[in-house]
Amino acid sequence: MRVPAILKLGPTVWGIAGFLAVVAVAAPLVPTFLLTILIGLLVFAALAYSMNLIAGLTGYVSFGHVVFMGTGAYAWGYVVGTFRWHPFAGIAVGAVVGLLLALGIGVATLRFRGVYFAIATLVTALAARNIIIATPALGGGQGIILNLGFEPLTWFYTIWVILGIEVGVTYWVTHGRIGYGLRAIKSDEDAAKTLGVNATRLKLFVYAFSGLFAGATGALNVWTLSGVFPDAAFDLLFSLQMLAMVIVGGMGTLLGPLLGAIVVYIPHTYFLTVAVGAEFIAIGILVTIIALVVPQGIIGALRRYVPALRGIVE
Amino acid sequence: MADASVIVAEVMFGVVRGVLLGCVFALIALGLNLIWGIAKVVNIAHGEFVMLGAYGAYFLNLYVGFNPLVAAPIDAALGLGAGLAFYYGILHWELRGKEAMTLQSEMVTLVATFGLSLSIANLANLVFTGDFVGIPFDAGSVELGFMRVPLAGLYVAALSVGVIYLTHVFLTRSYLGNAIRAYSQDIPAAQLMGINPTAVAAIGIGVGFAVTMAGGAFLTTLFPTGINPYMGHLYAPISYVIVVLGGPGRMWGSLVGGLTLGIMLDVGQIFLGVPIAYAVAFLTLIPVLLLRPEGILR
Repeated sequence: MRVPAILKLGPTVWGIAGFLAVVAVAAPLVPTFLLTILIGLLVFAALAYSMNLIAGLTGYVSFGHVVFMGTGAYAWGYVVGTFRWHPFAGIAVGAVVGLLLALGIGVATLRFRGVYFAIATLVTALAARNIIIATPALGGGQGIILNLGFEPLTWFYTIWVILGIEVGVTYWVTHGRIGYGLRAIKSDEDAAKTLGVNATRLKLFVYAFSGLFAGATGALNVWTLSGVFPDAAFDLLFSLQMLAMVIVGGMGTLLGPLLGAIVVYIPHTYFLTVAVGAEFIAIGILVTIIALVVPQGIIGALRRYVPALRGIVE
Repeated sequence: MADASVIVAEVMFGVVRGVLLGCVFALIALGLNLIWGIAKVVNIAHGEFVMLGAYGAYFLNLYVGFNPLVAAPIDAALGLGAGLAFYYGILHWELRGKEAMTLQSEMVTLVATFGLSLSIANLANLVFTGDFVGIPFDAGSVELGFMRVPLAGLYVAALSVGVIYLTHVFLTRSYLGNAIRAYSQDIPAAQLMGINPTAVAAIGIGVGFAVTMAGGAFLTTLFPTGINPYMGHLYAPISYVIVVLGGPGRMWGSLVGGLTLGIMLDVGQIFLGVPIAYAVAFLTLIPVLLLRPEGILR
């Protein structure tokens, strides 16, 4: 790559790169307690970027996105638990399974628009949970329990790499031909098709990436828990949190999911200590208000009301 | 290999139970269908209002001693209020002044009601605690050939069909019902005919919530110990499948969809086990949407 091309990366990219660099350097130095919180934040951010790829870029709200997390988690648990594979290999398997599942679900459901897509993906996630419960090889209702030990630094750098690749893919997808096509689909799919955008292929392309990253993140997430359980792996609350982060940050932007992850994760972690489920009451109210009042999210609102920032945040 | 006559008897009992269940499911789905058909909004928090209806019946039973059949009208009145609050508190923000539903608005309402669903379910978990509770209500049973059918189930099924019929009469015969249907078809044209779109939409959605919460009360007799703050996560998807089966905006479609799903679930459980029966019922939605997007009725 020529040097000017690197310099042309905007301040947002440098900002995200700076953030990632700072946490990477800080990770071995901070206390273990803080490190686990940092891992949680990066898991949330990785999920947010995964949701952003489909919901943010195309406007297709995938309510059942947790299905990729859950199957990624189960793929990881199966190969690590049954075949004694290395957890890293398990994460790769989780990513591939997420990708393949996204291709399968996408072929069937991406032709539905608006609410129909949302509902179709939602019932897929519920059905997947029920099928897992009825599969004895995957532990049925009991789940798979593994005891792999506590290695926060390994987890941290794994999720760091996943997140880094994800941000790179998001940048690559939004800053090129594909990005124009996706924006055209988001504003008017029929018009986009008329102009020669292959909507079906583009949507499937980003959905597959989205499933891949959600699968890998789901696999890492259960590695940190050392066990896979059907109700936890397919918990629809994950879908909501992913959506919440993307909505709060700003749909389809590069910085939005990271900002959204920070804004959602801090109250999430704080309210955990207040009462059972209090974090979800808070997030639910926040999401309802943001969706109704500022549907463009933080980034959209900043770009709209602070013109000086328009060239800087994206 | 089990005796063939045993299987036949089981299937027949499954069909009877599926029909009873299907009628109540249909009533619950009708609530969703009204909101979907009138305002073109899919209420993701639908299941939470079923849950609130069930808890309403539970507390009326616990403190006043009402059975679910008496509690249902009180639930419906509460639901009317909840529906008006839902419209003015949430939907009005997005739908105000809009002449037709756009994909952008659809997404906003989906996400907003998803947030609402989370808050209500978890708030209910804090206030009501997460224990499973139920209402002891036994009205005796009636012999039908070789099986005994609980009368309470028959009552709620019949009442559900009655309410669906009354809703149909309201929408097709009364002035207000016609105004609501006009609003759902074409908002600017309805306005030109002197219909106040806000009031009509609010009332229509209020009726939808009333029906939903009454359905929640009826449901408690069929699932005697199934009241729990997170029960909505099951009944909301069931309602989506029923509405899609019957065709969004078709009130009788809900009954057809409800009966289809109820029988599928109860007969499917005999051969496939409970989890797979539910998975199959949920996944039916995708081929129906692919092949018959207008619903299984023509």
